[in-house]
Amino acid sequence: MTWYYWLAAASLLINVVILLIHIFRLTTSGKPTDFSKQRGKLTPAIAFAFSGAMSPTRKESAFLHLPTYIAGIFYHLGTFTAIFLFFFNLAQISVNESFSRFIAGFLMISAVSGIGIILKRLFVNRLRALSNPDDYISNILVTLFQIFSVFILFDDAWFSAYYIVVSLLLLYIPVGKLKHAVYFFAARYHLGYFYGWRDVWPPKKF
Amino acid sequence: MGELSKDKIEKGIEVFKNQKDSKLRAHINSCVHCGLCAESCTYYLAMPDAKFVPAYKVDLVASVYRRYCTLTGKVFPGLVGARKLDDATIEEMVDLLFGACTMCGRCSTHCSIGLDISFLVRTGRKMLTNMGYEPAALQTSVNTALETGNNMGISDTDFIETIEWLQEDLQMEVNDDQAKIPLNEKGKEILYTLNPREPKFFPLSISAMAKIFYAANESWTISTKMYDITNYAYYTGNQDESKIIVKRLYDEMENLEAKKCVLAECGHGSRAFRWEGPNVIEKAYPFEVLTSVELIAQYIRDGRIKLDPEKIQELVTIHDPCNLVRSGGIVQEQRFIMENAVKNFTEMTPHGIENYCCGGGGGQLAMSEYNERRMKIGKLKADQIIKTGAKIVASPCHNCIDQLAHLNSTYKLGIQAKTIAEIVADALVLE
Ligand code: SF4
Ligand code: SF4
Repeated sequence: MTWYYWLAAASLLINVVILLIHIFRLTTSGKPTDFSKQRGKLTPAIAFAFSGAMSPTRKESAFLHLPTYIAGIFYHLGTFTAIFLFFFNLAQISVNESFSRFIAGFLMISAVSGIGIILKRLFVNRLRALSNPDDYISNILVTLFQIFSVFILFDDAWFSAYYIVVSLLLLYIPVGKLKHAVYFFAARYHLGYFYGWRDVWPPKKF
Repeated sequence: MGELSKDKIEKGIEVFKNQKDSKLRAHINSCVHCGLCAESCTYYLAMPDAKFVPAYKVDLVASVYRRYCTLTGKVFPGLVGARKLDDATIEEMVDLLFGACTMCGRCSTHCSIGLDISFLVRTGRKMLTNMGYEPAALQTSVNTALETGNNMGISDTDFIETIEWLQEDLQMEVNDDQAKIPLNEKGKEILYTLNPREPKFFPLSISAMAKIFYAANESWTISTKMYDITNYAYYTGNQDESKIIVKRLYDEMENLEAKKCVLAECGHGSRAFRWEGPNVIEKAYPFEVLTSVELIAQYIRDGRIKLDPEKIQELVTIHDPCNLVRSGGIVQEQRFIMENAVKNFTEMTPHGIENYCCGGGGGQLAMSEYNERRMKIGKLKADQIIKTGAKIVASPCHNCIDQLAHLNSTYKLGIQAKTIAEIVADALVLE
């Protein structure tokens, strides 16, 4: 095992511990309590919050911005793929060549999507006004992670740089907005709870 | 611009502490600054400036949270855009959280992550109010309600005289000198509330509801002590003052031993009493609370009132009040009523939980300093109305009716804005 392998493993450990602290804080902050009289149903509303409410046919953030939405979907799927690949590497499981080519192709599309998202942030006024360094760093680290994941599929010489990038990313996740990986679920749950309690979601046909 | 005193900052960031659940923590840590919520907000649509993007407003609150409540924000504020509470931050927060958000919640349903943006805006308003930065005009409405029992400062004598005059009118209209608008009667089925705009400016909407109660042979009363359904402290975010107002109506329900509290057509008032009220006083109500729209729909379903849609021939559309629809789930009831009360009905696009705010929500009508913005964002509603070709716009909210009246004169819409009760009263068949 190389030093950079152990660096990435240690970073993963630190990352998991800090994210678990965030999860612990969220789950121990107390369940939602509402003294008003419940009007609707919670379970279907929470299920809707994670399904129908996110559908590109419903969400303006999706259907009014289809190219960005599609780029975002690819970017997220690419990130999950790169994470799986990282676990494979950590467990020293090798991936066969044709599968490598498939993953590499997919990761290239997602990395291009990531670069597109960075450029959009740089060049669209309203996005630039909304952004802080964390937004750029997060985007760049995730995109580099995907790019280096492609490199190591074809050339072992990239492993040291790959593990350093992975380590930086893992250590950075709990610092900035990338921790939405944890908070997203809690936010959607609460939104579903709120609308379900008041019988707003799931929407009725009339 | 200097940082505020330690005491003031403590008061401000108090809103982030002692949370009863994880809701605030979840939402305030979730925004990814994608900016895709921009086009869901009437402010951004009317004035495409970055500061009107919902996420920008959220970030004002979240950046203060990061600065004072997170390790990264304390150590590397520049990295994560953590902001100090100083005069510049306060000025921007007041301008955008009070003056550029109607708390309509439309952006929340469209946010890519699922942030409850109006909840975060209200958290920011609470923060500002805790530090004493609530807009004076909005606070005046709260003070008047606290001092006089209603936000218009109507004296008991004036109120009683108005009701007596309306009662005489009702008796003539229904040709029954036993017809009453009962005041302060104990043990009735319903305690009916009002928006103080009704006795002050629109008494005919009280007559309309009285006529409906008469037709339904309802057991009801109005309290002279506490009839005001509005609660502007909900908009300033002052929990203590909001609690006093909620508690007054709660106590009056107990005092008059009424079984149901029926909320007049007032979006924010309904929300503040029905949904937020029990949480503000931290106990469940032992009585039923429902809006007059639900009650009227029930009367029609039960056959307690009869309507003749032929009486209203003009094309009618509905403006959905955000607080009633998106934050209260009352969507079908007003449509069911219209189906029975008018001959020609059409919908705006979009409508229901997708509706656009009229521009008067969030206390905007009480803050004259933002009038210009209010009329600009209302243009979207005006255009929606024009597209329907409707001559009557029905809306179950007096606040919306007021804004619709302003839009009517500014954009020359040539419409009549009416409450649901007024339309139902016009279509009533008295046997
Ligand atoms: S859509 Fe949601 S996550 Fe994206 S910027 Fe707006 S508030 Fe933030
Ligand atoms: S709550 Fe309404 S007014 Fe406020 S930011 Fe969201 S869409 Fe705009």
